[in-house]
Amino acid sequence: MSVSQETIETVAGLEKYKHGFVTDIEQEFAPKGLNADIVRFISEKKGEPEWMLEWRLAAFERWLAMEEPTWAKVDYTPVDYQDLHYYAAPRTKAKPKSLDEIDPEILATYEKLGIPLKEQMVLAGVEGAPKYAVDAVFDSVSVVTTFREELAKSGVIFMSMSEALREHPELVKKYLGSVVPVSDNYFAALNSAVFSDGSFVYIPPGVRCPMELSTYFRINAENTGQFERTLIIADKGAYVSYLEGCTAPMRDENQLHAAVVELVALEDAEIKYSTVQNWWPGDPVTGKGGIYNFVTKRADCRGDRSKVSWTQVETGSAVTWKYPSCILKGEGSVGEFYSIAITNGRQQADTGTKMIHLGANTRSRIIAKGVSAGKSVSTYRGLVSAHPKAKGARNFTQCDSLLIGKECAAHTVPYVEARNGSAQFEHEATTTRLSEDQLFYAMQRGLSQEEAVQLLVNGFVREVLQELPMEFAVEAQKLVAISLEGSVG
Amino acid sequence: MNAPVRLDLRDASTFPTRRVEDWKWSDLKRFLREAPAVSPAIVVAPGGPFAALGGQEIAFGNGLTVDAASEARFEGAGVLRLRFVSDAQSTGHQASATVVVPAGAELLVLESYEGAGSAYASNVGLTFEVGEGARLTRVVLLEEPEDVISVSVADVTVAPHARYEHTVLASGAKLQRHETRVNHPGHGASVRLDGLYVLAGSRHADLTTVVDHQGVGGVTSQLTKGVVADSARGVFQGRIVVDRGADQTDARMGHHALILSDKAEIDAKPELEIYADDVSCAHGNTIGALDENALFYARARGVPEHEARVMLTQAFLGEVTDRIEHEGAREAAQAWLAERLEALL
Repeated sequence: MSVSQETIETVAGLEKYKHGFVTDIEQEFAPKGLNADIVRFISEKKGEPEWMLEWRLAAFERWLAMEEPTWAKVDYTPVDYQDLHYYAAPRTKAKPKSLDEIDPEILATYEKLGIPLKEQMVLAGVEGAPKYAVDAVFDSVSVVTTFREELAKSGVIFMSMSEALREHPELVKKYLGSVVPVSDNYFAALNSAVFSDGSFVYIPPGVRCPMELSTYFRINAENTGQFERTLIIADKGAYVSYLEGCTAPMRDENQLHAAVVELVALEDAEIKYSTVQNWWPGDPVTGKGGIYNFVTKRADCRGDRSKVSWTQVETGSAVTWKYPSCILKGEGSVGEFYSIAITNGRQQADTGTKMIHLGANTRSRIIAKGVSAGKSVSTYRGLVSAHPKAKGARNFTQCDSLLIGKECAAHTVPYVEARNGSAQFEHEATTTRLSEDQLFYAMQRGLSQEEAVQLLVNGFVREVLQELPMEFAVEAQKLVAISLEGSVG
Repeated sequence: MNAPVRLDLRDASTFPTRRVEDWKWSDLKRFLREAPAVSPAIVVAPGGPFAALGGQEIAFGNGLTVDAASEARFEGAGVLRLRFVSDAQSTGHQASATVVVPAGAELLVLESYEGAGSAYASNVGLTFEVGEGARLTRVVLLEEPEDVISVSVADVTVAPHARYEHTVLASGAKLQRHETRVNHPGHGASVRLDGLYVLAGSRHADLTTVVDHQGVGGVTSQLTKGVVADSARGVFQGRIVVDRGADQTDARMGHHALILSDKAEIDAKPELEIYADDVSCAHGNTIGALDENALFYARARGVPEHEARVMLTQAFLGEVTDRIEHEGAREAAQAWLAERLEALL
């Protein structure tokens, strides 16, 4: 397909949020509201061990005592936590043995999502499909996990959290909550109490995970907050690349998403975590109906020379509140954060990272690109800190914001705390608008204004796109274009 | 956004804690739990650190002028030496002053905080009004004992085509906070906000600025540099706000600091808050040790290590004092820096 043809099709597809559809399958709900009984209900439904229930109840107690944070530069209708379902599971007849047994509606849902990750081909068992392991999360319960056997050969454990609780309780017990404690923040406590499911990954020592692991999140049922819990452990010398992609159907009511992602990297291990987030951003004019994305993501570089790299492309959600962070504990450990946050319409994104240097010679790098258009607000908020023992810590931070339109806003709020004499921190930030000269040049070469903007914005965020795995980068590039639809002219 | 803290030493409920975001790194409540007793009146001899530069003088002694007023007002041009002299033991005092520069006039304010005694708390509130086409240069010298609390907050209103420039020279205290809030009208007005901190022992200095660009075509240039040794702590908080419609704003902010000890700390928060799209705003922030290569180079050329350190540090920090246009004020600032560095290194 020629580039221009592709552009035309992309633009044609912009008319409507293409992932805004609803799949009708039978759902099993917990009653609305949140109390200790609901927590017990969820735990029981999932057949969890007693310690897990205790853990959840303790988190719930903590949550009750906490207050919703208000420091972020976002403004939204408060969430009524008693008006949500905290559990919704699709009814499956029995445990599916093969893909054929999966509800065709679910498979059709994947089809409608397009093939950003080629997961469908994998799910459909197409020959020659690339090796991706998919843990599909369909409204809270993992429906199918493919490629598990192949992964098992190399000793990689990749399964849903509920399965992991049954099959590897010792690993879950050891690491769950060890990076993000239950009382870490309001939304993490809520998640700890009611998380429905999520992914669990364990890479044994010295193993380089043979394929990219990927989860497909979808929020489907009306009024169900989704509380994912992801735990990835890379043991000594292991490597894993994990992809997370998100789409959600169009909805009138605000949907809450409060996930927790914990990464643990032991000695010499490396984790690469990539996210493309494209949730329903709400009505572009009124801002009504979008997803609230209040996520806690944190990596613990526990071992010496370990490395964690976060890459995110945030184009969706009405409100985003997300700070993937790295605790650089191990000597010589490395943390990286590459982010693109694009807001349009009435979207609000308050996102950034924390790089906490605890160990000697730890290094971190932050590249954050924010693009605001329409009436949106985009904020970079970050912390870089070096503790007294973090001798020789180094950080480089670059945050650039691009403004498109008179009514949008872009903020940069970096915190830097240096507590020893050998730390070296560099930070630079710029805020500018799209260059008229460049626009003129591109349009003079025959591009429409919209195409010219897309071209320039893609150039602006290129540094980050390059960090994404190839397949994701292609999808992300299109997303960038889609997100900016209607922002000029 | 939280409203700015209005500190009143007589009312402990106005004392900010570190939970107040803008005071996160300067936890006043930790050092001052209750309202201190009022400091006794003292007699201040005329002069002060800027005496050689002449001009008129307004001096406060423990918060009171010669006429026993806790407020003063000045309107005019030329040179004004605004002195806040403290000499007290474990008591507190506060003062306020308003300085107006009439349209088209030019004023140099030499503001000094001179302390003696110990453990006192001083709180100063200032208001500056710079008239249309006027120019105000403010050089602030903070020289106080190591165990005192000193807070000074200035509200600056600038008219179109006016210039406001300040340079703050801080040597720290137990808690020393120098805050400036500027209403920037754009329309040909320009603002320069510079700062310098040289901290030793367990001293703390906090240089905080907020510039709110409210009109088209405003220019702001900001450069703060510092050096901390021993277990001292330097804090820089700079916020540049560009309101909706304040297009063609050009704002630059830089904060660069050296840490000389593993127990010292530097905290920085250079913020941009932008609501207009046709702007050019940038900030840079670097924190690190003295460049070992440069030091090695100097020593290889035969410069003794101590001298090389002083030379390099002075060159690094001197960029700030060099930006003071008034010759006399610049020389006073350079002399202060040289003296402070010699003591520090």
